[in-house]
Parts: sequence; C-alpha cells; structure tokens
Amino acid sequence: MDRQGNKYTFLFALAVCVVCSLALSLVSEGLRTKKELNVALDKKKNILKSVDLREPLPAKAKAQDILNVYAEAIEETVVDGQGAIVKGKTPEDIQEGEEFYPLYIYKEDGKVIAYCFPIIGKGLWSTLYGYFALEPDAATVRGITFYKHGETPGLGAEIEKDWFQNDFKGKKIWDIKNNMLMPTKVVKGKVADQVSAEQAPFYVDGISGATMTSKGVTAMVDKWLKAYEPFFSKIRKL
Amino acid sequence: MAQALISKKDRKIIKEAMWDHNPITFQVLGICSSLAVTAQLKTALVMGVALTLVTAMSNLVISCMRNMIPSKIRIIVQLSVVSALVILADQFLKAYMYDVSKQLSVFVGLIITNCIVMGRLEAFAMANPPFRSFLDGIGNGLGYSAILILVAIGRESLGSGTLLGFHVVPQFLYDHGYVNCGMMVLAPGAFFLLGIIIWIQRAISGYAEES
Repeated sequence: MDRQGNKYTFLFALAVCVVCSLALSLVSEGLRTKKELNVALDKKKNILKSVDLREPLPAKAKAQDILNVYAEAIEETVVDGQGAIVKGKTPEDIQEGEEFYPLYIYKEDGKVIAYCFPIIGKGLWSTLYGYFALEPDAATVRGITFYKHGETPGLGAEIEKDWFQNDFKGKKIWDIKNNMLMPTKVVKGKVADQVSAEQAPFYVDGISGATMTSKGVTAMVDKWLKAYEPFFSKIRKL
Repeated sequence: MAQALISKKDRKIIKEAMWDHNPITFQVLGICSSLAVTAQLKTALVMGVALTLVTAMSNLVISCMRNMIPSKIRIIVQLSVVSALVILADQFLKAYMYDVSKQLSVFVGLIITNCIVMGRLEAFAMANPPFRSFLDGIGNGLGYSAILILVAIGRESLGSGTLLGFHVVPQFLYDHGYVNCGMMVLAPGAFFLLGIIIWIQRAISGYAEES
C-alpha cells in the first residue's frame, strides 16, 4: 500500500489510537484497586499526622501498622450543617452536594484528644488538600497537614514542610476577649514583624515568594473553620 | 568478543549528545523545565532521571516504527507514543511506589511537553536504527540532567542555603549578616545561572553561533 496515501495514513492513525488507548485503559483498570488502597492509606497517614499522635508513627511504618493504629485511635463521624453528629453515617457515605461534613475524632482511653477535618482550597496552580486538627477545647490548633498539591517546589510547595506546618501548632482560632472566631491567617513575612504581640496567636509566618499559596491557605482555613463552627461552638459551650 | 557491546561510533553518539550537542547549551531545548524544577536539587535529580528514561524509551519505540509512520502525521504519532509511555509509567508508580509518584506528579505534564523528547524524535530517531536512537536518548537525557543539576546546586545553595534539604551555609555566616539570595529561588535566578553555564560551556567547546 502507498505509505503516503490517505488510506494508509488513516489506518495507521487508527491503529496507533487503538493500541495506545487499549494499553492505557487495561493498565489503569488492572491497577485500580492497588491505587485506591494507596490513596486511602495516604489519607489515613495524614489524618494521624495532623492529630499529632501521642506515640508518633515510626518513619518507616508498614501499611498494616498504620491501618491498625488508625482503626484503634480514630473515630470516623459525620456532622451536619447545624453541628449535630449524624448517627450511623461515615465519611464514605457522604454524597456530593450534601451538607454533611466528615469529622475524625482522635480518642485515647475514651477521652477526646483532637478533632480533625479535611480542608480543600485553591493555591496558586492547584487545589490544595489537607487536614486541620483542633484540641478538645475547640480553640487551639493541634496540627495541619497537606497531602496533595501541585505548587512550585521551593516556593508554594513549602506548605508540606515541617517548619510551615509546625508553626500552626498551639495557635488560637478563638478570641476569648471578643468572643469571636479568628481563623488562623498566614502573614506576608514574619509574624513578629507584621502584627502586634497581642494578635500573634492568630497568625503564622508566611512563605516568601509564595504569596498566592499563602493567601490560599488562609482562605481555606477560614472557609472550613466557618463550616465546622456550628459543631465547635457546641463543644466550646460544654 | 567479536564486537564490543558499544562500538566507538555509539560512544561518540553519547558523548556528542552530552557535550558538543548538549540539549540545553547547544540546542537550547528544554529551557522551560530547567527553570521550573531547579529551585531544589532533589526535584532536578528526579526530573533528570525521568526525562532520560522517557527520551531513551520513546526514541527506541519511534525508531522501531520509523519506516511505517506516514510523514504527514508523524508529529501526532510521536506525541501519542510519548504521552502513552509517560502515563503508563505514572500508573505503575501510583500502584507500586506511591510516595515517588506523589513527588513526580507535577513533572508528568512537563515531560510530555518537553521539547527535548520531541526534538530528538524528529532529529534522530526518525532516521536512525533503534539501538543507536536509544543511546542518543540516554546521552541527551544525561546532558540535560547534568546542566539541571548544576543550576539546581547553584540555586538551592545560594537561594535557600541548603542542598537536598541539608544546611550547607554555616550558621556562622548568618550570624555575621549573610542573607540568602531570594532571587535564586525564583525563575530569574535560573536564567542568570543558565546564561553563565552556557557561556562557559561554549567557551570550552569552542562553539559559536554564526553571525
């Protein structure tokens, strides 16, 4: 057949398409369960990281160990828009568009040690996914993690580094004096240079060169703290 | 052995790709990604390895098909092969090396659109036998990685005071007023370093653009 003719060209293009798409879909389907397991494991690892376990996981913990610790320490619940815990529902049951929010409660010996919930929001290039954990007083930050993002390495990607995440620990989200919610804000530069000592507990250091990512973090913490506020305001009244 | 595994001519292909015809300093390809991933040494290393593998494999595949590809649609065919290969590799990483794939996910798109891959397919693999094309891919990938690593070492040590995350600038200097060069973390820092590297490399290799 004429190698430059239209018929050959079309047939060749068709063959390439079929082979490529067949190979891709076969591999994608064949590895699906394994991929989903990995994603689920990674989520659990990050929930455990954000609640700051009393006995931290070893750096090279095996998958099964992580699952065991998770099953023992974390209680998966769901809260509704009014802040009431929904009985008999788990985070997996939540359908898109429903006003239900997943809540992970870290308990040890029956006592609540931390409340953890997912935070999702836009950075500069990508959507940031993470978890935010509060102490049982519902006013102090216990931890924050980011497990998925596509920000610039060295700039926005610093959100996954310990120095940035650890800065949140012990910050306040509730202003006792004025009795109002104060979601943690990321400042431009250093907290010590930007805000008064009195305000410092509500702010964390920014990432230089990553203003938009920092703003994104501020916005998502604000958004999700407000979404869970009906629940946390009840905790605070207890 | 009657014939060495890699003949003299084959060795020349690798050397030429790495030095005389280095993809960045001579062909000026792949500049976009060399700006994007060189803020830290680790990402530069990962990108270097990934790109070397992709260039070598796609060169090999396209070279095997080179006599069957209709010239009218050759670019599209090349692109399909490259993207299929990259996505396949990404899928396997997601299933078996999840942590690595999380690091790499940003680069997958960058590799598919990297000019070096397409450039070598067009310039070399379409006209040369498979094994030689494979070597050309390895050589170009290594040449690209070498420049990337140089730029990244400069940017990370000057911009953040670290290498692979470890502090290399002694605290002593900071105590005496040394400050990290913030510009090195941003893209312009890479431009300056790249320019200097291209200058030095061309001065040694003696290449000059025709005026």
